Amino acid sequence: MIWQLDLLILTLVVLCAVATVSVKDLLSSAIIFGTYSFLMCLLWTEMAAVDVAFTEAAVGAGVSTVLFFAAVFRTTRLLKFRPAGRRLAKVLGLAAALGLGGMLFVAEGDFPAWSDPNSPASTHLSPYYLTQTLHDTAVPNVVTSVLADYRGFDTMFETAVIFVAGLAVVALLRRREETGPPELYQVGAGYEDTIIRFIARKMAPFMQLFALYVVAHGHHSPGGGFQGGVILGASFILLAIAFDFRFVFSKMGERANILFGNLGVLIYAGIGFLCLLLGANFLDYSILEKILPATDAVMARSHAMLGVEIGVAIAVMAICISIYLHLASHGRMDKGL
Amino acid sequence: MIDILTVGLVSLGLFSFFSTTVGLLRLPDFYCRMHAAGKGDVFSSVCMLLGFAVYLLHHPTLEMVLTSLKILAISVFIFLASPTATHAIVDAGHASGVMPWLKEKKEEEAP
Amino acid sequence: MDLLVAKYNYWIYVLLMMIGLYTMISKNNLMKKVIGMGIFQTAIIVFYVSIGAKKGAGIPIIAHGHGHDLAAAAVDPSLYVNPLPHVLMLTAIVVGVGTLGVALALCLGIYQRYDSLEEDEILEQLQ
Repeated sequence: MIWQLDLLILTLVVLCAVATVSVKDLLSSAIIFGTYSFLMCLLWTEMAAVDVAFTEAAVGAGVSTVLFFAAVFRTTRLLKFRPAGRRLAKVLGLAAALGLGGMLFVAEGDFPAWSDPNSPASTHLSPYYLTQTLHDTAVPNVVTSVLADYRGFDTMFETAVIFVAGLAVVALLRRREETGPPELYQVGAGYEDTIIRFIARKMAPFMQLFALYVVAHGHHSPGGGFQGGVILGASFILLAIAFDFRFVFSKMGERANILFGNLGVLIYAGIGFLCLLLGANFLDYSILEKILPATDAVMARSHAMLGVEIGVAIAVMAICISIYLHLASHGRMDKGL
Repeated sequence: MIDILTVGLVSLGLFSFFSTTVGLLRLPDFYCRMHAAGKGDVFSSVCMLLGFAVYLLHHPTLEMVLTSLKILAISVFIFLASPTATHAIVDAGHASGVMPWLKEKKEEEAP
Repeated sequence: MDLLVAKYNYWIYVLLMMIGLYTMISKNNLMKKVIGMGIFQTAIIVFYVSIGAKKGAGIPIIAHGHGHDLAAAAVDPSLYVNPLPHVLMLTAIVVGVGTLGVALALCLGIYQRYDSLEEDEILEQLQ
């Protein structure tokens, strides 16, 4: 951890935040917000939070930017410039921001110094996770073991929240228009380009392969269900943007997305209920040694974590694709960006 | 030997990144800037990644060789993806009617 | 100066939070408000992740740990950063993209109905 580098990145982050807010064009704003996310990703790596950095790179810089583009494409990109308006709101906003900032600055004196090894956050619970993870679960990546095992209940409901968000987008944007069967393989305007289509088509399978590697290897390296699921979703989004919207819609339509989202949450909760059926607590994976062949209690937890991560990946993938398809086509599912 | 190769590749990449930035800032129009960004970006990132891959071969254990193979795979990905993205951007600019810079126009505008 | 260097992560997160809050309250455009929400969210993530940082510690993946033959070996917790904030923030980022999707969907719906994303124009049409 080099504090000079940190200070540089943090200054750039603040500059990017100010630029994102003050630019008068929503598309530029979205691009600068993507840059902001990449800088954040650099910052997490520098603070040794590799899993968070991976997630931020896939989600914050990748999928969020694409979602912003889709929304700007479907609405308007220009802001209305009003030099005199909204004086009251500006004063109120400034007062609220300064008030909040002032309170937090005052409270800052009570926080431990940065990167203090003896801070309260690092002395109570986390040493247990760090020392016991190999003994309890045989998973060297502590983030994965905490995510899927020690705090599995939390992660299950996070997955459910993502699923509910996907359902909300479908409910908000879906339109029931009986226009007959759509013409197949009609490409969006201006994307007849051979190079882009060819590269996108060849690249998508490798992205999916990489996503499966990220899911399966999350026990030993940064990665896991959330990141792998987002990359899987991104491969379909790439196909929808660069290859053919209809093609993706015919493969991963509304029904398939909702089904896959359901399936993912069901796998997670199902593993939990399986533990309950076998006589242990909900999500207490070690009891699964009774039904998994050739395992002991420790390896059963490791394998069950893989199952849980696969469920998370399926749910996150389906919801990412569903949100993008609905935003880009304004719920009509005929053509995208 | 490995050290010299690493330092050489990384400094080549760094220099190329520098010239990319200069080109991006100084060149006159959209197409020239995309030319600088596309070519320089690919070359410099691939150079730097190759440098890192070579550096990992200091201790050629299985893990290190695997890691350096992963870095090679990343550079292949960049080599494919970045020019395509540049092409897409330039194509979109052409489709939306961005005019290339011409010398005569510059002379007319010059005071 | 000592205070500034020892705690600058907190200064930065407070600054980002102020920028986000100001944007959410004072900007007229709904999409800008969504971006402000994103900045506010990342400010909180900066706070959590920087709480987990430890001086002289590496990434939270136990070195040379494959299988449980090595489970008996003692692990020194001061060599690895605190993994708990990472877990909390990882899920928060992914949930953030879900809420972003819902917010943008609401923006699309509003634009379709009122043909504008500016707050005052929508309020005028409502009256």
